[in-house]
Amino acid sequence: MPEAALRDLARSLEHASAPPARAVPVLPALRPVIPGGLRPGSAARLGGPGAASLALALVAGVSRHGGEDGAGGWCGIVGVPSFGVVAAAGMGAEPERLLLVDDPGDRWPDVVAALAEAVELVLLCPPERPGAAAVRRLSALARKHGSVLALTGPFARDWPGVRLDLRIDGAAWEGVGDGHGRLRGRRVRVVAEGRDAPGRGRRADLWLPAADGTVRPAVPVRPPLEIVPPPAVKDGAPVHTRRDGEAAVVRIREGIA
Amino acid sequence: MTRVLAVWCPDWPVTAVGVDAGTAGAVVAQGRIAACSAAARAEGVRRGQRLRDAQRRCPDLVVRERDTDAEGRLFEAVVEAVAGLTPRVEVVRPGLCAIAAHGPARFYGGEEALRVLVQDTVVEAGYDCGSGIADGLFAAELAARAGQGGVVVPEGGAAAFLAPYPLSVLDRPELADLLARLGIRTLGAFAELPSGHVAGRFGTDGALAHRLARGEEPRPIAPVRAAADLSVRAAFDPPAGHAEQVVFAAKRLADELHAGLAAAGLACVRLEVEAGFADGHVVRRLWRHDGRLSALAVAERVRWQLSAWRDGRPAAGTDPEGIEAPAGEEAAQEAAVWGGVTWLALAPDQLVPDGGRQEALWGRTAVTDRVARAADRIQGLLGHGAITRPVLAGGRGPGEQVVRVPVGDLPPGNLPDGPWPGRLAAPAPAVVPVAAPEAELVDADGAPVVVSARCAVSAPPAALVVGGRPAAVTGWTGPWPADERWWDPAQARRRARFQVVTDDGAAHLLTVEHGHWHVEATYD
Repeated sequence: MPEAALRDLARSLEHASAPPARAVPVLPALRPVIPGGLRPGSAARLGGPGAASLALALVAGVSRHGGEDGAGGWCGIVGVPSFGVVAAAGMGAEPERLLLVDDPGDRWPDVVAALAEAVELVLLCPPERPGAAAVRRLSALARKHGSVLALTGPFARDWPGVRLDLRIDGAAWEGVGDGHGRLRGRRVRVVAEGRDAPGRGRRADLWLPAADGTVRPAVPVRPPLEIVPPPAVKDGAPVHTRRDGEAAVVRIREGIA
Repeated sequence: MTRVLAVWCPDWPVTAVGVDAGTAGAVVAQGRIAACSAAARAEGVRRGQRLRDAQRRCPDLVVRERDTDAEGRLFEAVVEAVAGLTPRVEVVRPGLCAIAAHGPARFYGGEEALRVLVQDTVVEAGYDCGSGIADGLFAAELAARAGQGGVVVPEGGAAAFLAPYPLSVLDRPELADLLARLGIRTLGAFAELPSGHVAGRFGTDGALAHRLARGEEPRPIAPVRAAADLSVRAAFDPPAGHAEQVVFAAKRLADELHAGLAAAGLACVRLEVEAGFADGHVVRRLWRHDGRLSALAVAERVRWQLSAWRDGRPAAGTDPEGIEAPAGEEAAQEAAVWGGVTWLALAPDQLVPDGGRQEALWGRTAVTDRVARAADRIQGLLGHGAITRPVLAGGRGPGEQVVRVPVGDLPPGNLPDGPWPGRLAAPAPAVVPVAAPEAELVDADGAPVVVSARCAVSAPPAALVVGGRPAAVTGWTGPWPADERWWDPAQARRRARFQVVTDDGAAHLLTVEHGHWHVEATYD
């Protein structure tokens, strides 16, 4: 089909001549894995356990820091009826700038095409294996308008040309004991791989979510060096051992190392 | 002197709140009886009484708050019934409307015949009424209330008809009080006073009342102008086979529509687009917009409507009716179906005075044009409710805290507010299924975990089975009871929530209700 080829060429030329669009922003905590934000017009894939939380974090980033003046952008969520709006709001998303299309049915390519022109990030869970024509059309539209497709769900891996794979490793929930406590947060290692994260990929340790519902970096905070006064033990007085044994000594060692 | 026919519905405020005349009922405004039904009146209830006194006289009185909106709304039905006989109807107030009787009386064969016909029409529409004809509205209203269902007062007989009425019918209590102290107790006696002296002593309002009492008219009757039909329409002959043709015509129609609206100083909130096809099919859809729809935007909506309908119909070849057989080329997509479009009409809906438009400055996020266009397009594809914006509302569970409002609609106003003791603390779960899947929580022996009425857990849970796949429980907490709406047996729910972490690293929010476990949400 020479005509189609010509059209595609025209599109790519149009893209080439257009000024580079602004990157689609992410939450500050995710910047170590996605430095500078998501590449406009690209597709990102969210897989494995924890994909839903990553999707929420991406949506929250756009909703909070996106838009033309950085005051907040719009997101479309297609085919994800179980989207946790409260959790997204906790991460910083503005619910009134979310557009939810819970059940697009087999019209999902048209829905995504309409949204790709209007919003900065479309979170899509394709209800079926995406056809090559739909992928081509949606990718071209996303490139033209500088929006990002975030793919999730079982058919996300059938989407060709994904530039970024996001997943989480080593998730551990904290706060719940054996019949007491409550979920307070989850330590995860977010891994970004693919063409936009070359080499061995990028990694970051995060609280996803933290105790207050936000996303925070989980750097092991090293306590600052401090002078520990020698235990004032009078002659003949009983020596109280500290509960954590040789804590004072350890702290100095840690500081030196 | 104009002959006026008045249609008067007795005790309209009571009828409007759904109390029929046979029931002793009353509506109250500010603690006093505003109107009461005939049955209540027979028991001694009167207008202006205090509610307490009314209830003392009639203990089983049905009392409702006055609803002026409902009065006006319901009276439309009466007006419509009357308008079926003669088009120019003036609504005086809810419960009373008037028509000029001269022409219709000749058409329907006499004033008495017209009076009976109007009365029968309204009674057939389901409302009790009286109708009367007299010179002037004031006398006509009293004529409608006189006798059994109204009388006809002959021309020039208004003064004689009015003479025996007490002064209270003038609805001017101060004037009536003063006149009563001067020894004047009926309209007839009042009418006999010289009009110059009445004007000098009682002022303009007194002079007006005097005119009424003498059976003269204070002002001519002014029927409302029938709402102008602002809809526009285009016909296609021969039928338009290509969408482009229709869209082009739509643009021209939209310009016409806007010119008509602008001339009337109106703006429309919604626009109805109708397209008729050669074989009689009509495709109709309402489009809503916050601001003003430009001609281009209207044309765009027509295009979406046509394309949405075209894509929605059965594919070529599988069409059971075999109406058309496209060649499978791209051109066939545009081919005439159902015989092509024969007419297109744009009708403005919900007209409001055009007061200009003010963008929000701070605080509220306005839907941008691009987003509104995308939303309109998706609504054209999937229906109005398919694309929603979430609104955070009150509630305890993660699903209850979100209300989804279709784009273009206003968020519901009566969102429950207040403290929510027992609300789930942050962090909120990332996956909130629409229908919570069933689960099983078993203890170390494989027996289901049971929560007693006193919220005691039978045994620590050891495994969670969702969809037949078991996972060992590594941490759990609960139960957190939620006893909601216990005052309303139909909606009461008694649940207990648990948070459970399994060995595959997942955390779930489980709910037990009536002994059944569900995964209400997942901390994915």
